[in-house]
Amino acid sequence: MDTSAAGTETRIAHGALPARDKLRLGIPRVLNVWSTHQFWIGLFGALGLDARRIVFSSDTSDEQMREFGKGRGTVDSCYPVKCVSAHYGELLALDRHRRIDVLFSTMIYSVPSFLHGHVVDSLACPRVMAAPENIKAGFLKEGDAFAARGVRYVAPLVALGEPDMAARQLLAALAEFLPGVTRREVEAAVRAGYAALEAFAAAARRQSREILENCARLERPCLLVLARPYHMDPGIGHEIEVDLQAYGFPVLWGQYLPTDPDLLGWMFGAEVAAGQVRSGLDIADVWPSSYSANTNEILWAAKFAARMPWIAGVIRLSSYECGMDQPTYTPVQQIVERSGTLFFSFQDLDSTKPAGAVRIRVETIAHYLARDAAGIIARKRDASPPDCPLAAAPLP
Amino acid sequence: MHNADTLERTTVPQQQGAAQRIVHYRAYKPAPFTLEDREQATILFGGLQWRTERLIQGAIERFGYKTAVLPTATREDLLAGRELADIGQCCPTSFTTGNLAGFLRKESQRLGAAEVSRRYVHVTAGSCGSCRFGQYHQSYELALRNLDLESFRLFLLQQNALDQGEAAGQGLDLSPQLMTGVFWAVLMGDVLQDLEYQIRPYEVHAGETERVARESVERLHEALRSAPLRGGRKSGVLWYLLTGHFTAALREVYARYAAIEVDRLRVKPLVKITGEFYLQTVEGEPNYNIHRWLEAEGAEVYPAAISIWIDYLLRLAAQEAEDRIGVRRGARVKRAGAAAVQGLLRWNYDRMRAALGGLPREMPRQEELRALAAPYYHSRLNGGEGDMLVGKALWAHRKKKAHMTCELSPYSCMPNTMSVGAMAAALGRHPDVLYAPLEIKGDAEVHALSRCQMILTEAKRRAQREFEEALERTGLTPASARERLAGHPARLAGCKVPHGGAAGTAANLVLHLAATN
Ligand code: SF4
Ligand code: SF4
Repeated sequence: MDTSAAGTETRIAHGALPARDKLRLGIPRVLNVWSTHQFWIGLFGALGLDARRIVFSSDTSDEQMREFGKGRGTVDSCYPVKCVSAHYGELLALDRHRRIDVLFSTMIYSVPSFLHGHVVDSLACPRVMAAPENIKAGFLKEGDAFAARGVRYVAPLVALGEPDMAARQLLAALAEFLPGVTRREVEAAVRAGYAALEAFAAAARRQSREILENCARLERPCLLVLARPYHMDPGIGHEIEVDLQAYGFPVLWGQYLPTDPDLLGWMFGAEVAAGQVRSGLDIADVWPSSYSANTNEILWAAKFAARMPWIAGVIRLSSYECGMDQPTYTPVQQIVERSGTLFFSFQDLDSTKPAGAVRIRVETIAHYLARDAAGIIARKRDASPPDCPLAAAPLP
Repeated sequence: MHNADTLERTTVPQQQGAAQRIVHYRAYKPAPFTLEDREQATILFGGLQWRTERLIQGAIERFGYKTAVLPTATREDLLAGRELADIGQCCPTSFTTGNLAGFLRKESQRLGAAEVSRRYVHVTAGSCGSCRFGQYHQSYELALRNLDLESFRLFLLQQNALDQGEAAGQGLDLSPQLMTGVFWAVLMGDVLQDLEYQIRPYEVHAGETERVARESVERLHEALRSAPLRGGRKSGVLWYLLTGHFTAALREVYARYAAIEVDRLRVKPLVKITGEFYLQTVEGEPNYNIHRWLEAEGAEVYPAAISIWIDYLLRLAAQEAEDRIGVRRGARVKRAGAAAVQGLLRWNYDRMRAALGGLPREMPRQEELRALAAPYYHSRLNGGEGDMLVGKALWAHRKKKAHMTCELSPYSCMPNTMSVGAMAAALGRHPDVLYAPLEIKGDAEVHALSRCQMILTEAKRRAQREFEEALERTGLTPASARERLAGHPARLAGCKVPHGGAAGTAANLVLHLAATN
């Protein structure tokens, strides 16, 4: 059997499909889709699919699991992977006129990362990449649940971290439900996908910079969230940062920090000059096993927080049974705390949000921030070089 | 959400003096291993099965290094590992971390921390995957910090490079020549282990196989340790490829095994061990002594060879290059290189098998495993054993290589949970596969073994049925088969009983006796 390039038998074909502009595509909003969704929208848009017919599953929730995920699990896993069954189930259960034709669930092998070139690799967690195979099994073990709903299941493996590979890997899978699609078309669509993703990230980074500029100007503290992209899912991250925002602290996400050369030069220039790191995006000094993209970004963002005066506190979110986060707990905490920045961690997050406990934690965090932020900012600024480019920014 | 854990990492901020300088956190970096260290320092390693460990010692000592093998990890090590590193580790990380830490702690009490750091260095697999296999050292480092052994030197081997020379400093030259010796030790350790497990359950005189195994490992250790040094750092590899030095030693060893008297008419289920690398390889408390337990329960064990894992990694490398032909420069050459190394590995493995009378089992072909697993698990998903885990279970069943597969699945393992989950679909389609995935936590033995026991009972039934069918087919009875065996070469371990289409040894022997008398 040929298993080259796109090769696995993950396609389960059923029935005829409508034309492209009528095709309804279901995408589980899970795992690294949270950091790549713009790519998929850009890709399918360029291929002529109607954006209104691209259906993402809802945010993760207990109800979703109860209603659509029950009995589909095959093995105990970390919480974000366990939830994927419910997302599949929800998409399969969509009723008559919202019924999807294709369930498209990619095995994202690697992801585009702003640290590319500065780290060993940008791979996805082994569970992230393999989740579709694992979850699929739960829908096949007692008969083919996809076939029963007349849905075509398509799960290509794609190394999004290698743009020149992505088109090749996606072509065969796309041809499954877009008959006649050409290589050129897919290549152009992939380019459009990356452009959409980059535009989104650039805008988000700009926004983060503006927040930091504002904080610098007003000598105000802000908070940084260190988490995996899917902790933005209210059912996975429990919106802890939203509760903090309500206290008036602007919140940044590690994935979307500004990476402008002037800022990185100011923050890391001395260490580069001293040969401690090769560049402002190098993390070899704290994390030499830099294979995993999301882990790398968390480590880098922790370094960023340690050197950014106005980030007075860091909130670390981790899911129940996350094997990737486990070895990073101490390094991340150490990176942050050695700089005098406040560090708060919510570990073992799973399905239930213990509202009371979170409220108390949030109050505690707010209290310490209010009490200590000015001192933290002053100390970190004293330790930083003069002429911060953030402070020099013109008023909006 | 678990409140206790959730609240665990709240840091009560300390007020610092305004003038305090910020000293940023940096990861551990080992001090170099200098030329002078070569005389004094002992290279510590472990985590495999005892035969291979002893042989690797010989391969490294050949180059003038002192070596020591860590004792097999214990439950106490598991607890120490959990305590010393961050919570939530997979169980192999806990075992190996605790194992190293336990050894160093004891030595520190005896010699003092400074002397321990001077006297020992630890060399361990780094791995290039994104799972914790590539991050074990993070736990080791944390444990060392917690033990005040920060100056202890820990070196990582990269699994994707034969030349490890630069990694460690001038004194520790892990040259291609030395690493080939290590690989040869692994290959020999595998074939020896396989042979031993085929013989012991059937030995007539209890303890004989064990004795011969110990003697044989020592003989091969000596063959590795005293092998002539031919060629340079790189060219020396050729010598390994072409020499008859090791096959001669293996033939000598074979003669010892061959003379062991066996009764292969004992009907036993054949149980294939698969799973996560560490758990399937180690023999001891980390996997509840599963090998010994299965034998004690009346099974014949089909152990997991490390060579198959190396073959798998080479297949992954070849695939990766193959997918990039036309996209990346040099991909074609890389693919050819990986395929060539794979060919050399298999060729040498077969040479060693042949030197042992052809008794050790052949390696399954990677293409076959991949094809069997394809409907359930993508061949490009890496980390752990990937699709091979599914492929091996189906291969063992379909090709009648074993009655059942015992899958050692570490608690909290990332890739393994994914493959085991995917097996659900395979079992849906092949409900007759006897598959026992055992979640290994390290301290929940009764639960895991009783689960295994249930499936083993069915495997025993199948082995018995198969034996009876063989008798029926050949017209033999247990008594007449035994009569024929009395004068047959198969009463000695050196005789190879061909695979006659049954999974079990006794059934195959009946078919063989009928065909050869
Ligand atoms: S990174 Fe952690 S939470 Fe995410 S899929 Fe991997 S193990 Fe699960
Ligand atoms: S493969 Fe599993 S058990 Fe082995 S190191 Fe990785 S996570 Fe741990």
